Amino acid sequence: MAAALVIETLQAGYEPGLPIVRGASLQVEAGEILALLGPNGAGKSTLVKAVAGLVAVSAGRVLLQGADITQVPAHRRLALGLAFVPQTENVFANLTVAENLELAAALQGVKPRQRLPELYRRFPDLDRQRSLRAGRLSGGQRQMLAIARALILPPAVLMLDEPSAGLSPRLVGEVFLSLRVIRDEGVAIVLVEQNVKSALAVADRAAVLVEGIERVVGPAAQLQGDPRLAELYLGRRSVTAPAGAI
Amino acid sequence: MLQVVADGLIVGSVIALGAIGLTLTFSILRFANFAHGEFLAWGAYLALSALAAFVAIGGASAADATGWAAPFAPLSFGWPLVAALAVAMLVTALMAWALDWTLFRRLRVQGAITLVIASFGAALALRNALFFLYGGIPQYYAQALQIGIPFLPRSVYGGLRFTPDQLFVLLLALLIVVAVHLFLSRSTLGRAMRATAHNPALARISGIDPERVLRATWLIGGALAAVAGVFVGLTVQIRPTIGLDLLLPLFAAAILGGIGSVWGAVLGGLIVGLAESAAVTLVGAEWRAAAAFVVLIAILLVRPTGLFGEKS
Amino acid sequence: MDLQGVLSYAGFFLVFASCFAIIVLGLNLQWGFTGLFNVGVAGFVAIGAYTSAILTTPPTPERLGGFDWPVAAGWLAAMLTSGLAGLLVGLAALRLRHDYLAITTFGIAVVVQLAALNLTVLTGGPFGVHFIPKPLQGWLGTGQEWTLAYLALVATLLLLAYVALERLVASPWGRALRAVREDEEAAAALGKRAFVLRLQSFVIGSALMGLGGAAYAHFVGFIAPEDFLPILTFQLWAMLIVGGSGNNRGAILGAYLVWGFWAVAGGALRGVVPQAEQARAAALQVVLIGVLIALMLVWRPRGLLGEQVAVSRHVEPR
Repeated sequence: MAAALVIETLQAGYEPGLPIVRGASLQVEAGEILALLGPNGAGKSTLVKAVAGLVAVSAGRVLLQGADITQVPAHRRLALGLAFVPQTENVFANLTVAENLELAAALQGVKPRQRLPELYRRFPDLDRQRSLRAGRLSGGQRQMLAIARALILPPAVLMLDEPSAGLSPRLVGEVFLSLRVIRDEGVAIVLVEQNVKSALAVADRAAVLVEGIERVVGPAAQLQGDPRLAELYLGRRSVTAPAGAI
Repeated sequence: MLQVVADGLIVGSVIALGAIGLTLTFSILRFANFAHGEFLAWGAYLALSALAAFVAIGGASAADATGWAAPFAPLSFGWPLVAALAVAMLVTALMAWALDWTLFRRLRVQGAITLVIASFGAALALRNALFFLYGGIPQYYAQALQIGIPFLPRSVYGGLRFTPDQLFVLLLALLIVVAVHLFLSRSTLGRAMRATAHNPALARISGIDPERVLRATWLIGGALAAVAGVFVGLTVQIRPTIGLDLLLPLFAAAILGGIGSVWGAVLGGLIVGLAESAAVTLVGAEWRAAAAFVVLIAILLVRPTGLFGEKS
Repeated sequence: MDLQGVLSYAGFFLVFASCFAIIVLGLNLQWGFTGLFNVGVAGFVAIGAYTSAILTTPPTPERLGGFDWPVAAGWLAAMLTSGLAGLLVGLAALRLRHDYLAITTFGIAVVVQLAALNLTVLTGGPFGVHFIPKPLQGWLGTGQEWTLAYLALVATLLLLAYVALERLVASPWGRALRAVREDEEAAAALGKRAFVLRLQSFVIGSALMGLGGAAYAHFVGFIAPEDFLPILTFQLWAMLIVGGSGNNRGAILGAYLVWGFWAVAGGALRGVVPQAEQARAAALQVVLIGVLIALMLVWRPRGLLGEQVAVSRHVEPR
């Protein structure tokens, strides 16, 4: 069966002629969490934004459950099963929690009655704050709301850009725990993270992106404590192992 | 004194309707559309032509409309103008969208300033096209003068008089504002528009089609402008320059209210209308245009995000 | 048309175009080199024109002013007042986002026009200011020779302005200005210094606009509020867009080209349209130039000569 998400030698960037993602290739299976790691500026954010359709792709392909979605406009990808939670501004701050979820439901043709009670059960914090404007939520609650919005219809692939940013360790643990539950429901998760330790603890597999290309890919357990990781982050180019091999 | 307030409210409700469309395009399309005033002017003139056509079809002449074309006493107009208004709204809405499709869409990649320059040029072209097609002489929907109905005698703060047309304008403007508010807060498309104004990227990945939102913005903005234009024609007169004359007040109202806020545009419009009315009384009618400018400068110096605007 | 007529027409044409070229150089400094969007150019031109007119005309009973100053002093004063206007506008509005600056400058032009129309005691109201002294008239009379001499005068001023601006732009001041224009974040880091740079540029640009206005006024000899309508602002912007913003030579070229197009379009329409409809023909002329600008923006946004400054990317859309 085809992998849930396949990224084939993708080239993407904000300006034509200046690619930030330089031919990266990745695969994510259903029911697994892939942590996307790498130093600052490596292109992790740009990569997931390109997969989401927000950044222009100059070469390569993106396949969602076997179908080529590279040319599909961003606003149609959610309906095809690709959900994306950006790092900042990932909820509509001027709407309340309930309005955010109701809008997300309405946009996907889902009656609020069908899905929202279950989401409120899964995220009790949100249930308590239904009529609070999203801009007033705490960091952790906002992250929960952003994820909940993405789960109105169970996606095939869920991508998150640094969901742990600015959160206390305890909250990070809570967020990652909920990701595990989502994964167990069969969703393929791409987790972009700066927090290497926590990410490797929750992920099944991990890939390290350096200067727009994936360098090391393998099971998360094996990457923990791997000295190459430190080298890649510190910038020494001594790692010559081809991508995908451990 | 009260009459000043009343007149200000009439002018203000016209400005408010125009400013709603302007604030929507400003926040969703992210540029100041200098051609918006011309949508009002075109709306007024399109209604004029449609009115003549309807009256002619009905077999009556404009001067002595009877039967189905008779005015709804005590208003100055009847079904023909109502039908003409509907036509004007439709055509102006399409015109606004066509302007985006032929011009602004192709320039979006160049940035907001190019769009503003283009809109300034489009405004000139549209305004002068009106001059060319209709000439510069002021025109009216109905020839009969209306008498103001006294609501309060002159002994009470100078008295209060409204003509029936003015009351109609006030009421209809209120209804329209409420309708727009309901649309934006309750309907999916309306909420999608607000979401796009707030955060276009998040809107896209939430499944909102940006083209659909853009189209709706132009259509609604154009239709509202047409109504405002007809109101101007109804309460003042129809001239090719009404768009240019209202442009500064429209901008002042939208900025005063806070870009993106419909109620802000309404409140801003009323305040600018009152300021203009006060200026006419205090300083003289020739200085009415300066009132909007004073309001604009004041809000930009004190609180540039406007009364209900969000800090972006 | 005989040679004399052609020469006479050409002389008029060139003088007007050269006055406009001076103004467009000022606009280019504000927009092309500093990224400031001034939609009220007509207002600054009017301020310069009226200042010089009021100061240099002989006294009249209906109007204040009429100090009978020498023309050169009038032109200098014109630059000072329009520069001062630029200073006031800049202090109030330069820190705002660019489209708010556009709206504010537009409002300035509206108010200036309103003032010109209504402050009759100062500006002559709708009748305007007449009998503006034409320099050198004592020696050269009023004919062809005077027009050519005036052309030489304005062309010299234009050349001086061009040279001065080119040097300014190449100087450290100019380089700092460019840095501020291109990189919003660098500008924010420079903070106050960036604001001062922009303000200086805006003031100098406004002063040039005033000079162009004064030169225009003293050629025609008569100005009125309807000489400074929004259409003028648009014509000037058209000149800059066609020629190439960010390029001083482009600015000058654009002035002559667009004025030429305007004259040709006007002439063609006048020839085709019957006498009674002349006003409507004028309206059509505006429509045509509006369409020209739209086409130019869509197909060749850099203008004919493009930017002279090497920039690594477009100014970011905000």
